[in-house]
Amino acid sequence: MKILVIEDETELKKSIEQYLILEGFLVESVADFKSASLKIEDYQYDCILVDISLPYGNGLDLIRQLKKNQSNVGIIIISAKNSIDDKIIGLDLGADDYLPKPFSLAELNSRIKAVIRRNNFNGNIKIQFNEICIVPEERTVKINAEKVMLTAKEYDLLLFFVMNKNRVVSKNTIAEHLWGDDSDQMDSHDFIYVHLRNLRKKLAVKGCKDYIQNIYGIGYNFNLER
Amino acid sequence: MKLIHKTTLYYVVISVPLVGLAAFISYFVIKAEIKNGTKEVLYTDNYNAKHMIRSFSHPQNITLSSDGYSKIKMVSKPLDKTIFIDTLIYDPIEEETVEFTFLKSNYWYKNQLYQIDIIKNNLDAEELLEGLWEGFGILLLFLGFGYLLLNWFISKTIWKPFYKTIYHLENYEINQHENFQLVKVSTNEFNNLNKSLNTMTNKIQEVFVQHKEFTENASHEMQTPLAVIKANLSLLMQTSNLTEVEMNSIQTIENSVKKLTALNRTLLLLTKIDNQQFSEQVLINFTELCDNVLKHYSELISLKEINVEKNFHDHLWFTMNPTLAEILISNLIQNAIRHNVKGGKIKLSSTINSFVIGNTGEPLSIPESDLFIRFRKGNTTSDSVGLGLSIVKSIVENNQCNIRYENLNSSHLFIIDFINND
Repeated sequence: MKILVIEDETELKKSIEQYLILEGFLVESVADFKSASLKIEDYQYDCILVDISLPYGNGLDLIRQLKKNQSNVGIIIISAKNSIDDKIIGLDLGADDYLPKPFSLAELNSRIKAVIRRNNFNGNIKIQFNEICIVPEERTVKINAEKVMLTAKEYDLLLFFVMNKNRVVSKNTIAEHLWGDDSDQMDSHDFIYVHLRNLRKKLAVKGCKDYIQNIYGIGYNFNLER
Repeated sequence: MKLIHKTTLYYVVISVPLVGLAAFISYFVIKAEIKNGTKEVLYTDNYNAKHMIRSFSHPQNITLSSDGYSKIKMVSKPLDKTIFIDTLIYDPIEEETVEFTFLKSNYWYKNQLYQIDIIKNNLDAEELLEGLWEGFGILLLFLGFGYLLLNWFISKTIWKPFYKTIYHLENYEINQHENFQLVKVSTNEFNNLNKSLNTMTNKIQEVFVQHKEFTENASHEMQTPLAVIKANLSLLMQTSNLTEVEMNSIQTIENSVKKLTALNRTLLLLTKIDNQQFSEQVLINFTELCDNVLKHYSELISLKEINVEKNFHDHLWFTMNPTLAEILISNLIQNAIRHNVKGGKIKLSSTINSFVIGNTGEPLSIPESDLFIRFRKGNTTSDSVGLGLSIVKSIVENNQCNIRYENLNSSHLFIIDFINND
């Protein structure tokens, strides 16, 4: 899977590259509008991360260029301007997602995977993780071919873990994923604990191993090696 | 006090003594003239009387006037000198004491000494002077009336551009500056005023735009470094063999970044509200909006085992920006959830022009007056940035509404009065 990162902030670009490489993606990155324009003209990518304010141009114009070439590449806008207008314009132009800065890399990773999944397989894909099988299209989970009834939040939590398997994700990251901006309006850590406890129980009943490893109480690691 | 009233008052204050003084002087001038006139009349009569004596065929007494005061009489003893005097005599006809003028003189004719008494009352002169006072009074009245008329006319015509300028200033909104341009008028002073006001508002607008851009840019610029910190924390966390101490440090930094992000976002929102950048106005059904927001927070509500009681009498409609309306209700409901106790209650009620949200909870730990002040929060360790209620207040005030806090049976009530709601 090939990803293009278009981001002018070097440090941020480097971190994103590093994390995505860790996830097994092939990552290329550019820092300005001109080189981005050349790249998307010449190469094919599975997903493109594009910042809106760039040297020499606007990221939205890159999306226009991509759509003119009738490319069905996944596009995620990453912008410092958490502006509703930009979001609406971007999504109208054909971007798949909009992620305002600052974001956690685990969140970015799960969004990229979701976009690729939707674009490449029309969503008809099963995510298999040992005995766990997730069908995102149906939002269902099976353990050893047996259906598990999960609430919306429990499902989101499990999918997020599986998307970021073998990575340490903090409780804050999980809270932001589950509740978005509302996460800082509540004692989210307690709520994560409640959801996680229920998820663990439901999976264990169906004979699933406990892959969720506590990391000193500050986060979790959905760990295959456990 | 209106300018027109003030000038009228000054006119009156100056006119009354001036007219009074004029009347006073006129009184004496006219009085002196009348006296002179009387004197002349008396001497003429005296001269005529002498003439009459000369035509006498035999010496006799004679009454000259119908009132019987003026007469020619024969006397034996002459006066020391000719008497010309004013005196007061009771006049039975007028039934009052009246001023009379006397001219008494002697005249020798054919060895007979006559005394000629010419006596005239000054009644006419006094009435004339009385009339004079009346006249001046009426003059004063006319002057006052004239001033009023003149001022009314002046304020309607000459001051018109001034009142127009005031009207424009009253309706000036800094975020709709383009509509504000005072036009040229024919009065120099008002023209200068308008020019100065144009210059001033242009400057204010410039500063306003700069300030607005600065706040927005500052908030946006902060997002990128925050993104870098956050991304690197994600990476750092993946490092194997981190100790618990190191992990805790990462956690602490992450929490602070999260708080800073929320703070940044909220400040940006507050700036936008205060700058009235949410201009779109839509008629909103608040009861329906409430249901939607409650649905959004249903998970939180059930996790905290909060019992929600809705008591919407009527559908509450109000024209407002839809984004702001949602933020308003969300913040109030969030506040009611956050400061609630486990197993507590939230009560929502509405009438046609007010909305009340109440929640059970611990007593206030800050003074009631500080509730809506930025960064005042009860629990300093909580994740909240302490801006929720100031956002609520900001939205409410920018929509010409009112919010109050009340404590009723140890539950916290927030009441929004939708003023001018029909």
